[in-house]
This record gives sequence, structure tokens and C-alpha cells, in this order.
Amino acid sequence: MAFVRATGRFQTPRVGNVSEETQSVGALTRTLNVLSKICLFASSFSLVLLVVIFGWLVFGRYVLNVTPTWVEQLSLLLVGYITFVGSATGVRENSHLGVTLFREMLGSPYCEIASALADLILAAFGVVMMVACLELMQFGWSTDLPMLNIPESFRTLPAFLCGAFSCLFAGTRGVLQIIQLFHTADASDERSL
Amino acid sequence: MGLAILLGAFGGCLLLGVPVAFAMGIAAASAFFYEGFPLLITFQRTISGISVFSLLAIPFFVFAGEIMLHGGIAARLVRFASALVGHVRGGLASVNIFSSMLFGGISGSAVADISALGSLLIPVMKEKGYSGDYAVNVTVTSSIAGIVIPPSHNMIIFAVAAGGGISISKLFLAGVVPGMLMCICLAIAAYAVAIKRNYPAEPFPGWRAALVAAGAAIPGLITAVIIVGGVLSGVFTVTESGAFGAIYALALTVFAYRSLSWTSFVTAVTSAVRTTSMVMILIGFASAFAYLLALYQVPTLLTNLLVTISDNPIIILLMINVMLLMLGMIMDMAALILICTPIFLPIAREIGMDPIQFGIMLLVNLGLGLCTPPVGTCLFVGCAVGKVKIEQALRTIWPFYLALLVALILVTYVPAISLTLPAMFD
Repeated sequence: MAFVRATGRFQTPRVGNVSEETQSVGALTRTLNVLSKICLFASSFSLVLLVVIFGWLVFGRYVLNVTPTWVEQLSLLLVGYITFVGSATGVRENSHLGVTLFREMLGSPYCEIASALADLILAAFGVVMMVACLELMQFGWSTDLPMLNIPESFRTLPAFLCGAFSCLFAGTRGVLQIIQLFHTADASDERSL
Repeated sequence: MGLAILLGAFGGCLLLGVPVAFAMGIAAASAFFYEGFPLLITFQRTISGISVFSLLAIPFFVFAGEIMLHGGIAARLVRFASALVGHVRGGLASVNIFSSMLFGGISGSAVADISALGSLLIPVMKEKGYSGDYAVNVTVTSSIAGIVIPPSHNMIIFAVAAGGGISISKLFLAGVVPGMLMCICLAIAAYAVAIKRNYPAEPFPGWRAALVAAGAAIPGLITAVIIVGGVLSGVFTVTESGAFGAIYALALTVFAYRSLSWTSFVTAVTSAVRTTSMVMILIGFASAFAYLLALYQVPTLLTNLLVTISDNPIIILLMINVMLLMLGMIMDMAALILICTPIFLPIAREIGMDPIQFGIMLLVNLGLGLCTPPVGTCLFVGCAVGKVKIEQALRTIWPFYLALLVALILVTYVPAISLTLPAMFD
């Protein structure tokens, strides 16, 4: 499992119907990886588009002496997609800046508990972000972005997506960590018996 | 109570290991909720926090840096630096520091600097008899200079965190001398250690070879000239110069150097997206967080607290520096710029410090934090690139820390170091 390898701490749960459980977790992981790749691709495409249209702006302004005014608005829109959709990939890849020092000082299993808790808090925040941004999108639907003539909601859409994907990525990881913790505890109980 | 919720939620999330950006968002949302504001204000401020035109320069700078990193510019710069300073004792260390100054000036990223130059120079240094820890320490500490040598996206983050009103072109100019000062201090430290350990000097390749190396490196260096020169001359805005610099870097590595493959391009773009999104989401959530800090008058409270301890500007600046150094040990640079600027800048203004000088002091200080454990991104990357254990590097890094501390003290207490160059262009 890619995310298990990325964190380097958790293994596939091994109780009950092992092969069925492993398969379903594997399928879930693959689906999440694909979604994360799609987010990264969308952000990368936005970045390349940003460079191209800004190149056009500079060329238009200084060579053709005609400034394409729509570029500035579209650029601000694209930055939103790069930021929020790219951040969702960051949540999946665990690449955001964070201070993991303190929880690592706790040692096992408290470190894993703190890690799962952090993921669940992040997932809950993702839900809040998603709901609030959906509300913002509804407000902005009737207002157009200047120069682009598309609803203002398109500016809020990436934040909504970031909330949804963060909830999905962090929530899944958190839940799987908790399952793993329970399995580890069960296994050690069995050994002590 | 609202402030306690804001700081408590932020601290609690950090302790658990929630990413800093989201920790700020969670803390802001909690405080807004407590104050009875609708939760969507948090996200409204976050979205408007990143929808700032001057911030568009950040993806361009990061993209240009990544293209330079993957496009073969570093090797040419190293050859140029080697021809110029390789013949002094411990010559490869001087080459490393000088290359960092040049490459940092282009990429503006310490981590890109270490990845590009470290992977080139550390193996060569080891081969020539330099110890691994020395090679890593020189690479890691010299990469910090790139943060203050323009163009630097951290300067834009600082300008935004300061609430606008700070000229980015003046910040760019203000960083030149401190960046060079850092490199000189590091070169002295590297030279002293090289003499003590009896490291060799490289033979001088001759003026002809030096000219050939310069000819190969100059097109790459022009990227920095375009960006900084474009802004200073007033021809381009910061954002336009960033975009032009990125396109130039792309054209140079694809058509002139022919060193950027499709795979390298994809790697550069995805890497730029990862860095940009990480930095920009921090800026977005920090915008909501900083709004609440201002609402609860945190800067005023802290100013009053510091003034009760001492009203001597020297002591106050010392205390700010110590606090920043301690915070730099546990948190990364971009997050700290965004959190600390709204808190400490009013204090610096209160005691008569120029905001430009404060910005440079902040960047040098937090740059030092990138080389200090337990959270030292540059140190970790450098050790990974150089295949040296962190504790092994830390045992011998002290002369380099000392050199950077000397530079920090000079930048803090001698305003002319940062302010002379901007004043000349007024």
C-alpha cells in the first residue's frame, strides 16, 4: 500500500478474512492514489497554463502594446486551483509542513494514536471546509468574475475540493491507523493469554 | 478567552502533528466560531488571502528554481565558481559557498540549492579527501544565503505578511549585502577549518578556462538579472518579472543548454506544484489566523510585555532574535514568517527599526533555523544527499553556526548592511 509505505509505520490489518480485507484495503488505496494523481495533474496543468498565459500577458503588454486584461483574473483563479487542489495531494502524500517531533517523542503506541487523531481532526476540518465552501459557492453563483464572465463560485470550487479530498485522504488514513492499532492490541492480548 | 482558544487550538494541533497550515485554519475556525462569526469567514479570508496579485510571483519563482535545478544550470555554475575560487586552501568549500551564492540568487530556495549543488559537490569533496561532515556542513549552511539573495519568494511572503506597504524591490536590494556577508563569514569559517584539517587547494585552471566557464554560466545567471533588474528598473512588476524569468529559464534549458528532458520537466512541474501549494495554503490560512491575532491585539500585548522587561532596543532585538531562533528550531520558515511578522514587526517599528531591515533579519534568523535540529529541513536534506549521519554533521557544524550568528548579529545591529543599497536606488 503506497500510503503505508509513505508513512512507514502501518501494515495491512491481519485479522478476520485476511485476503478479503487486504484486497479491499488495497483497492481503496489504489483508488485514493489515482485521485491524488488526478489532483496533482490538475494543479500541474494549472501551473503550466499560468506560465503560458502570463507569458502571453508580458508579450502582449511589451511587444504588441495590447494588454490582455483577462489574464490577471484567470491567473488569480488558477492560483486557487494550484493551491487548494495541490494541497489535497499534499494531504495524501503527507508532505505538508508539520511538527511531528512531539508525537514521535511519545513512543509507540501513543505516537500512532496521536497520528490517527491528527488525521481525524484534519478530516473533520475538511468536512467543515467543504460545507462552508459549498455555502460560499451558492452565494457566488449569481455573481460573475470580472473579465471572465463565469460565476464567482469557480473561485471557491478548489477550496471545496480541497476540503472534500482532505477529508477523504486524511479520514481514510486515520481510520485505517485506528483499525491497525486495535489489531495490534488484540494480537498482543492473544500473545499474553 | 477567544485568544486562548485560538492559541490553544493551534498549539494542540501542532503537538499532535497536524500540518501547520491546517492547524492555523482549525485554530482560526475555532476562534471565529467562539466569537459567533459564521465559519465561512475563515475560508473567505483564506481564499482572499491567496488572491493577491503580487503573490503570483511565488509560483513563478518556484517554477524557475525547479527548472534550473533539473535543467543542468548547477553544473555550469560550479565549474565557474571552481575556476574563480577553487585555488585557495580548502578550495572546494569556497567553490561550494560561491556556487550557493550564485545558485541561491537564481533559485531563491535553500533546499533546491542543497539538492542541486550538494549532489554535485559533496561526492567530489569526499573524493578529494574532505570529510563527509565538513562537505555537508558547508553545503547546508551556505544554502541559507540563497534565502536573502534576490530574487527570493520568502521576501514576497514577508512583504505580504507585513500587510503590504513594503517595497519588494527594496527588499530585493536589501538582501544583497547581507547574503554576501553570510557567504564571507562562512568562507572564513570554512577556511579556518580547512587549515586545521589540512585540506588541499585546487590548481588554478588558467584565465582561458575561467573565461570559458564564465561564458557557460552567464546565460543561467541572467535569469536573476532579468528578475531583479526588471523589478528595479520598473520595467516589470514582480509578478511579470517572475513569469519572464520562468519562461527564460525554460527556454534556456530546453533550447540553449538542451539539458531539460520531458521527464525532468514533469518532475520540475510537479515539484513546483507541491512547493507552491504548500506555501500558498500556509499564506491563505495564515491570513485568517493573522486577522484574529490583530483582532485580539496580540502585537500590542507582546510589545507591552517586552517593554516591561527592557526598553533598550538592543535587548529587545536580542530577545526577538532568541525567540525566533528557538521557534526556528521547531518550525519551518514560511510558516514562521507568516506567524511572526504580524507579531514582531510592530515591536520592531516601535523601537525604530526599519521594516526592510527587520525583514532581512527575520529571514537570516529563520534561515539559521533551517540548519538546526530537531526540525531543520536543510540539515536533513544535506545529510541525506551527502549520506552523512545527522549527529556526525552536528558534531562539527559549530564553526558554521558561529559564522551565521556573527552575520545575524551584524544584520540586526548595523542597519547600513541592509539599508545602504536600497537607499542608493531611492
